[in-house]
Amino acid sequence: MNNGNTPLIQLQEVTKVFLTDEVETHALSGIYLDIRDGEYISIAGPSGCGKSTLLSILGLLDTPSGGSYSLKGTEVANLSFPERARIRNREIGFIFQSFNLIGDLTVYENVELPLTYRGMAANDRKQAVTEALERVGMGHRAKHLPSQLSGGQQQRVAVARALAGKPAILLADEPTGNLDSRNGEAVMDLLRELHAAGATICMVTHDARFAQHADRTVHLFDGRVVEDNLVAA
Amino acid sequence: MLNDLRFALRSLLKTPAFTAIAVITVALAIGANSAVFTLVNSLLIRPLPYRDASRLVLIWEQFATMGLERIPVSAPEFLDYEKAIRSCEQIAAFDYTAFNVGGEGNPERVSGAAVSPSLFPLLGVDPIAGRTFTLDEQGEGHDDRVVISARFWKRRFNSDPGLIGRTILLNGRAFTVIGVMPATFEFPIPLFGVQGNRFAERVDIWKPIAFTKPELEARGSRSYGMIGRLRDGVSRAEAQGEISTITAEFIRSHPGNYDGGGFGATVYPLRDQIVGGMRTGLGILLGAVAFVLLIACANLATMLLARATAREREVAIRVALGAHTWRLLRQMLCESVVLALTGGAFGVLLSIWALDLLKRVGAQTIPRLSQVTVDIPVLIFTAAVAITTGVFFGLIPALASRKPELTEALKEGGRGSTSGAASNRLRSSLVAAEIALALVLLVSAGLLMKSFARLQEVSPGFNPHGVLTAELSLPSLKYPDNKAIAPFFQEIIRRLAQLPGVQAVACADILPLSGTNSDSSFDIEGKVLVKGQPSPDEEVRSVTPDYFRVLQTPLLKGRLFSNSDTSDAPLVAIINEAFAHKYFPNGDALGKRITFDDPKKNPAWTTIVGIVGNIRHRALDLDPEPEYYLPHAQSAVSSGRSGRNMILVVRSAQDPRTLAAAIRREVQTFDPDLPIARVRTFDDLVSESVAPRKLSVVLLGVFAGIALLLAAVGIYGVISYLVVQRTHEIGVRMALGAQRRDVLTLVINHALKLVGIGTAAGLVLALFATRALGALLYQIGPFDLVTFAEVALALGLMALLASYIPALRATRSDPMIALAHQQ
Repeated sequence: MNNGNTPLIQLQEVTKVFLTDEVETHALSGIYLDIRDGEYISIAGPSGCGKSTLLSILGLLDTPSGGSYSLKGTEVANLSFPERARIRNREIGFIFQSFNLIGDLTVYENVELPLTYRGMAANDRKQAVTEALERVGMGHRAKHLPSQLSGGQQQRVAVARALAGKPAILLADEPTGNLDSRNGEAVMDLLRELHAAGATICMVTHDARFAQHADRTVHLFDGRVVEDNLVAA
Repeated sequence: MLNDLRFALRSLLKTPAFTAIAVITVALAIGANSAVFTLVNSLLIRPLPYRDASRLVLIWEQFATMGLERIPVSAPEFLDYEKAIRSCEQIAAFDYTAFNVGGEGNPERVSGAAVSPSLFPLLGVDPIAGRTFTLDEQGEGHDDRVVISARFWKRRFNSDPGLIGRTILLNGRAFTVIGVMPATFEFPIPLFGVQGNRFAERVDIWKPIAFTKPELEARGSRSYGMIGRLRDGVSRAEAQGEISTITAEFIRSHPGNYDGGGFGATVYPLRDQIVGGMRTGLGILLGAVAFVLLIACANLATMLLARATAREREVAIRVALGAHTWRLLRQMLCESVVLALTGGAFGVLLSIWALDLLKRVGAQTIPRLSQVTVDIPVLIFTAAVAITTGVFFGLIPALASRKPELTEALKEGGRGSTSGAASNRLRSSLVAAEIALALVLLVSAGLLMKSFARLQEVSPGFNPHGVLTAELSLPSLKYPDNKAIAPFFQEIIRRLAQLPGVQAVACADILPLSGTNSDSSFDIEGKVLVKGQPSPDEEVRSVTPDYFRVLQTPLLKGRLFSNSDTSDAPLVAIINEAFAHKYFPNGDALGKRITFDDPKKNPAWTTIVGIVGNIRHRALDLDPEPEYYLPHAQSAVSSGRSGRNMILVVRSAQDPRTLAAAIRREVQTFDPDLPIARVRTFDDLVSESVAPRKLSVVLLGVFAGIALLLAAVGIYGVISYLVVQRTHEIGVRMALGAQRRDVLTLVINHALKLVGIGTAAGLVLALFATRALGALLYQIGPFDLVTFAEVALALGLMALLASYIPALRATRSDPMIALAHQQ
């Protein structure tokens, strides 16, 4: 379990190798990374540097080829599929570049979806969904379908969905990538508000402007951490 | 157009798996339609193989108040009709008979008919060799001529042209062969629903009719069918009016013969008599294959919709280059019609194969089946169905994809617009419709199967297992009377009883469920009939002493026949329970006497000595009728029955078929000229009696099976497509923590929703459709809830199975790859 001294996330010598047509591609090579509770960290770097691979491993969507990954003090690198799904559902909130809302479900149902998988009681779900939607300012759009919302609004709903289950960490993959600058700024403001309220956030971005919103920026290059800076307040 | 055709072929060859599945689907559906239409065309539409067949009629008599419908006429009646009738150009009498063919080669028994010389000109069919009978070639002493079938000519005489004018030995008597009828000629044709179903065998020898003196004196002894050709311009109603006048005259001039009974005669079109009984069955089959075709169309439409989605970019490029809507439609329809025609061609081959199979298994159950052929009208029908089918299943996807959203579709990796909600709804609706139609067919097949199973459980009143039957017909020259006939059968029975494994042997003139009947009227001692009331008339059988032991029919009271019941002994009879119940409801039948003579003229009385259990004689689904049995040795004395045509029944401890050779050997040791015919087990005979029902069950079952298979393929296709389409969504759900079972549930729920909608619609449809089955069902109603529920459940399970594989595939998707999948 996590305590004050143990990082929320600890990666040690994590590697990821992809094999295609007998060609080995080293996406990550010996990554060491600690993320502490309440931190707002951005991962930056050029295309192909391994940002998304790192985020997938952090989000338990993928498994590392080597090294260790501990989440809240528990080794999670080699868990079974159902275990990883369970931890993803309870400890990790995803915010995707392309929102990834389900078109057939209403805003409310989209936010409710991860709670349903958790087996949460209906009343508790309702409360959690309402709170999350209110928190991102989308409570009035609960019955709308995603197609009836603007991009910025869709991303707010995606943030609400990530928040609703009160995860240990929010993982955001280029959360402004599909938005215009005004909506991009609005989403970044929202993330900052969440961080201010205590959320741990790890964001992948290639946009230096948005990277500056984080407390700490980790630069990747060719699958290695080449810089790990605290951003001046 | 040629370009469209070329492109269609190239495009289909590029996707061989898709093309193969589509062609197989079309072939199954069109093959089934082609086969059933061939049956309908050959049996119901194509004219009978006689000249101007629409003017041919059968005239049957009836005693309406006694429940006797469509009974034959007697010799004196026929002669009276012949003299009086004006509405027919000609009439002819015919009767089924059999010949023991002797002379060179093995003796064999061949089906034949005794016919009026006018029969062949009346039917308008000429012989292929020789001639037919002249009017003076009939009557006793003038009837030693025969016309034979081309089939018999070829089989027995190797189509020897020198046979014309030569004599052959039939029933020990020399007959001159004067003509050969064409291979397609068939008369009498088996008739549906005529009491006795006597004309079941295809006839190979025709001889002139020769009414015997006793026949000419017995106005009430009816055994001849009567066919007529209406004069040109005379309607059936006019003929009926004339026949009614003639029968009224019969009643006036022969009051003793027609008292009470509601006597009359009815004119029936020959075609109705031959194929009328098949109309309902063929109608149901036609409906069934139409459903199969609709299911196939829905299936193909969903497949083409999915294909259209995959090709939306190509369509968009064509539209961007200026293609008109009609041009696009034409190209897409060209592809679907090519598919349909290819499938149709395979379908015709499939139907030819299926009809060959049907001819082998259904020869005894469907009249004129040998004439069923795939001809030009069938090919035109099949081509028309194929083209219509192609247009029908091609139009839906073609219309759905003719206007793509160009900007989206032309983007590299752009999202297709036809993969949207409307297209999904259309696909889902088509699959739900498939399920609804399949359910109707499955419920219908289920009802027929249950009905058949219940029929199989009916006890016929005897034990057919372990019994072999064989027919023997003693020629009158060698065995002229009962003094020769009775000892022959006694000796044969004695010899056969000594064969190893034989438990009991007997003979009967008619076997239960054989399709043959014989009835005779009688008077009961002490029962005075009211003036005008007809004498009782019931089914009668002539049997040897061990008959009931062979059949294991229980003796309820009194005694069975014994060897001491000879022609010199007091005349005795055994009755069945139904007979006792009808005529002796007080339970005092034993010792009562009946007579076949005029009770007022010092008759010979026959004493009832035993009561046996009921036997279902006419059919397993008909209640047992009153029957009485006479000892074979006495039946000539008591009721004037010749007793020369008998059927051996041999009960064996082993497989009865193993006795056939030994029985044949014993009979031919005793009389080398005597053939035994139709050697078969009693189980086979019982099975043949339900063969038409079985055929309906099998055919509808096959069509329902095809429907189920197509519906399963449809569900599999739609769910597979859904999984591919929702790969990204599944990835999102997994990223949000969905377990594999959640994904499985998601996919299967979608399939079950489709099945739920389809089942609900199908159940409503089935409520209407199964009404048509009413007449074919036995001890089960057309709305049997259990069957409906079972079929719905089976469909649900099938849907689970069909959707499980794609659902499983969905659970195995890698969330990383799924998330990367294009939206």
